[in-house]
Amino acid sequence: MKVVYNWLKEFVELTAPAEEAASRLALSGTNIGGLEQGAQGAVIEAELTTNRPDCLGHYGLARELSAIYRLPLKGVAPKPAESAAKAAEAVRVEIQSPELCGRFTARVIRGVKIQPSPAWLRERLEAAGVASINNVVDATNYVMLELGHALHAFDYDLVRDHRIVVRQAKPGEKMKTLDGLERQLTPGMCMICDGDGTRAVGIGGIMGGAETEISFSTKNVLIECAWFEPVAIRRATRFLRLYTEASTRFGRGADPELAELASRRCAELILQLAGGELLAGVVDAYPGKRAPKKIALHRREFLRIMGADVADKEIEAILGALGFAPVRADAQRGAAGSLLAAWECTQPSWRGEVEREIDLIEEVARIRGLDKFPPRFPVARKAAARLPHADAEERLRERLMGLGYREIVTIPHVAEERNELFRPADAAPARLANPLSEEAGVLRSTAAVSMAAALEWNLNHGQRSARLFEIGRHYRLEGHQSVETRVLALGATGEAREKDIYDAARAYSFADLKGDLDAAGAFAGGFRWQADGAAWLHPARCGRVFLGAQELGAAGQLARRVAERLKLRQDVFLAELRLDPFYAAMRAARDARRFAPLPRFPAVERDFSLLLADGTPFAEVARVIQSLGIAEAGAVEAGDLFRGKNVPAGKYSLLVRVLFQSATGTLTDAQIADFSGKIVAALEQQLGAQLRAG
Amino acid sequence: MSSAESKTAKTLAALDAAQAQPVTALFAEVRARFDAEAAAAHDEASWKLFRDAWLGRKSGVLTQITDNWLKPASPELKRAVGAALNDLRAHVEAQIEARRAALEGAAEESALARERVDLSLPGVVRPAGSRHIIRQVFEEIERIFLQIGFSVAEGPEIETPYYNFEALNIPEFHPVRDDMDTFYLDLPKGAPGQLLLRTHTSPVQIRTMEKQTPPVRVIVPGKVYRRDNPDATHSFMFHQVEGLAVDTDITFCDFTGTIEYFVHEFFGPGVKTRFRPSYFPFTEPSVEFDASCIFCGGRGTAAGGGTCSKCKGAGWIELFGAGMVDPAVYGFVNYDAAKVSGFAFGIGIDRLAMLKYGIDDIQVLFQNDVRFLRQFP
Ligand SMILES: [Zn+2]
Repeated sequence: MKVVYNWLKEFVELTAPAEEAASRLALSGTNIGGLEQGAQGAVIEAELTTNRPDCLGHYGLARELSAIYRLPLKGVAPKPAESAAKAAEAVRVEIQSPELCGRFTARVIRGVKIQPSPAWLRERLEAAGVASINNVVDATNYVMLELGHALHAFDYDLVRDHRIVVRQAKPGEKMKTLDGLERQLTPGMCMICDGDGTRAVGIGGIMGGAETEISFSTKNVLIECAWFEPVAIRRATRFLRLYTEASTRFGRGADPELAELASRRCAELILQLAGGELLAGVVDAYPGKRAPKKIALHRREFLRIMGADVADKEIEAILGALGFAPVRADAQRGAAGSLLAAWECTQPSWRGEVEREIDLIEEVARIRGLDKFPPRFPVARKAAARLPHADAEERLRERLMGLGYREIVTIPHVAEERNELFRPADAAPARLANPLSEEAGVLRSTAAVSMAAALEWNLNHGQRSARLFEIGRHYRLEGHQSVETRVLALGATGEAREKDIYDAARAYSFADLKGDLDAAGAFAGGFRWQADGAAWLHPARCGRVFLGAQELGAAGQLARRVAERLKLRQDVFLAELRLDPFYAAMRAARDARRFAPLPRFPAVERDFSLLLADGTPFAEVARVIQSLGIAEAGAVEAGDLFRGKNVPAGKYSLLVRVLFQSATGTLTDAQIADFSGKIVAALEQQLGAQLRAG
Repeated sequence: MSSAESKTAKTLAALDAAQAQPVTALFAEVRARFDAEAAAAHDEASWKLFRDAWLGRKSGVLTQITDNWLKPASPELKRAVGAALNDLRAHVEAQIEARRAALEGAAEESALARERVDLSLPGVVRPAGSRHIIRQVFEEIERIFLQIGFSVAEGPEIETPYYNFEALNIPEFHPVRDDMDTFYLDLPKGAPGQLLLRTHTSPVQIRTMEKQTPPVRVIVPGKVYRRDNPDATHSFMFHQVEGLAVDTDITFCDFTGTIEYFVHEFFGPGVKTRFRPSYFPFTEPSVEFDASCIFCGGRGTAAGGGTCSKCKGAGWIELFGAGMVDPAVYGFVNYDAAKVSGFAFGIGIDRLAMLKYGIDDIQVLFQNDVRFLRQFP
């Protein structure tokens, strides 16, 4: 709200410069967006929090300043001249929905002359950011900006039967509002109607209707000043997507007591601006009148919450200035500073949100100044704990960083079409009901989809080599429940080694991905790989990753079909693993880890150069060797692998290296020869392997 | 064969040197010859030949002198010849060793010149990994709060309206909900209630208090979502660290003291703090927390004159919202509001990282361009 500083001075005799007042307001709860000097003097941009509808008028902010500076607040008591004719005989008001409209006042002014407003009014409204329309409408707006209560002026002669009926909207009802739009209404909305109540002439507290609008031919004016139920207003504004000055004020909770005063102030202004004759009295339907609430404030409670005291006099001055009329109500009355001091306060009608002791505590504290409560350092009484998996996650992260992977953070909203490229058939997608765009219509069912996008971004921005990882979640539905799963995504493309003056370049391959994953898997006792992968992976270059019998995920080269859809022009490698079982296995492996004594006798390596049929996996070779039960045979490693040249078609050459070692002595050549002979025989027999010469 | 050389093959008698004087002259002649040859031994190979020529056991010059001059010398000459030979031997051995050392030094020098590394060339570059900047800020904040007894908690990003709103004292149609435009999930028909993407990490306050009794001290790092159109300062996903402390003796002063500690740890001890009253439905009193601008030192003017662009001349930067836990919240978790009190805060991490590192577009945080990632090793 734009606040004209000189306007505030009409209610409080402020001497402070506007800048200073603005900064004092900021430190007592009114956020200040800025301050500008204009023709009307300083204009402060006040950003009111939703709990302070009373400050949506200059008078309310003047009250704040009167409390801050301890200056008296002037009253508002308009006394417009009234004619002998009575308003009650000119207009009737019936509230059929008191749950929506707690008060409705009506005043009538006859014989007005609608014309443009005088310069002072136009300028002041403009300074406050409201366009001038005509003198009567401007008067209603002026009062709204002055007192914070919204009013509406009808052309009295266009109100059928001079009768107002306030009721709920009917199903399917429509009306044309002041802005010329036809509005679809629903029950629960408060309608201002005329005549027999069938025709709506306004949506209560939100916007008037076009049919009874003030025009330059208007002679007689009906001033509506009412009070509407805030929740119903908010519900209606949200449904209609119609946010007005009136709906903001009523929606946050206006002051029902103020309605009559604001109406009288408006009548006074109209007489002054447009002439005419004000009918005597006010028609005031007030079914929602409430007795003011009593709220107690205890010093003990104040201290318990705030931790530092405020003197009796100051508490009373602050609460008094804000309208809470504090009265000492404890047995120690008169004993200043008593720990047992208590005050009984009365809730002012304009502070509907102040209902509890904590609310009063806040009022005293904010006006007193939050800097008056000295910072103190509280002592912890319990040891702090990180997340249960924090340590495992950190070790994983460090390992991946050591292997050259950079951590990424992604937004999990993706396009459904992309999500589908990666989503397992049995995973129900978590779609958004109200996405911002189709590009972000579903929460990712896999982290791989985001990783692919991150690689895609880099390739499209000239970054041809990247190794990335993300520790995040994927999101799925199971029935009506959402399931968030902690996952690791790994992604790489381009070169595993860049060419430099020392070495040649080498492209990142499946073996890099497998090796890097296994380096992480070593924390958890080692991964087991199994053929096959996810549908989004290249069928020949992928694998499933297991810990024991538990599948963690899959890894491999991105399937060509998917790569083409994403327009990726180079090979891309991806992996996605579930992390919770991995972390659990990490902990278990760590707990189970024991020292193995270092061997005391030298180890002997023997190489076996084999010709194997294509499709015979290395694991089979290792299995055959291990199944011989040679206690001295240790690690079995693949030393070299090639096809072509001297290798017949359908076969491949594999160099297998076996490490022999004994815990009890140095192995003799005869022993080694014996082991080697058994190994060769077994491989020949079981796998049809041929031993190559040399 | 020079005359000096051929002379060592003959006996003194044959050389007609029966007196001491001609013997001395002969030795001087041999020595001069040695010195001349020593100068010519300029590499290892010629040095070896030179050494063998003089010290060789079978036919070296010194052996020849011993055999031909010393051994057959008359008893009266033997003494003088022996002394002169010893002198010559000492000279020859010292010079040959000196020559070797000189040659070796020179060879080493040239080898070093050849092998010297060029420090201006890069080493072997191994791929380096990095933590995302958001993770780095999370870790920094975790470290700061762990030190003062705050445990770390987490919660789901897909929440129920109850945890995200109602239990935080934000009933339906509360005006604050208008400021937190919310993503909802599209659930299959027959779902018992709605699910939404949490708009703040505050639901974990409720989940934490449901699970444990006071004292409670937790921080909650995580992703949050608001349905804002993306621009340089808005992303519909961003990160928060929620904080919550509840105990029987926590006051507003403890709250401001804790926040001050955090800011001094994070931004440095010179930073000033300011609390402005504000409003949140789940805290009361509520505050907006400001720190003095770290870019202009709180002066509001930039180093080169003119208004500081970071704080827009205010000298203060709005950091986050916080406050004392509203007693209504305790009602939702069966805490006795008359017995416990506490505070809560919600720090926007992305903004903090952007401020600290001068990042002017929030979108760059989530594009994951390696040129960006590399900048924060
Ligand atoms: Zn600054």
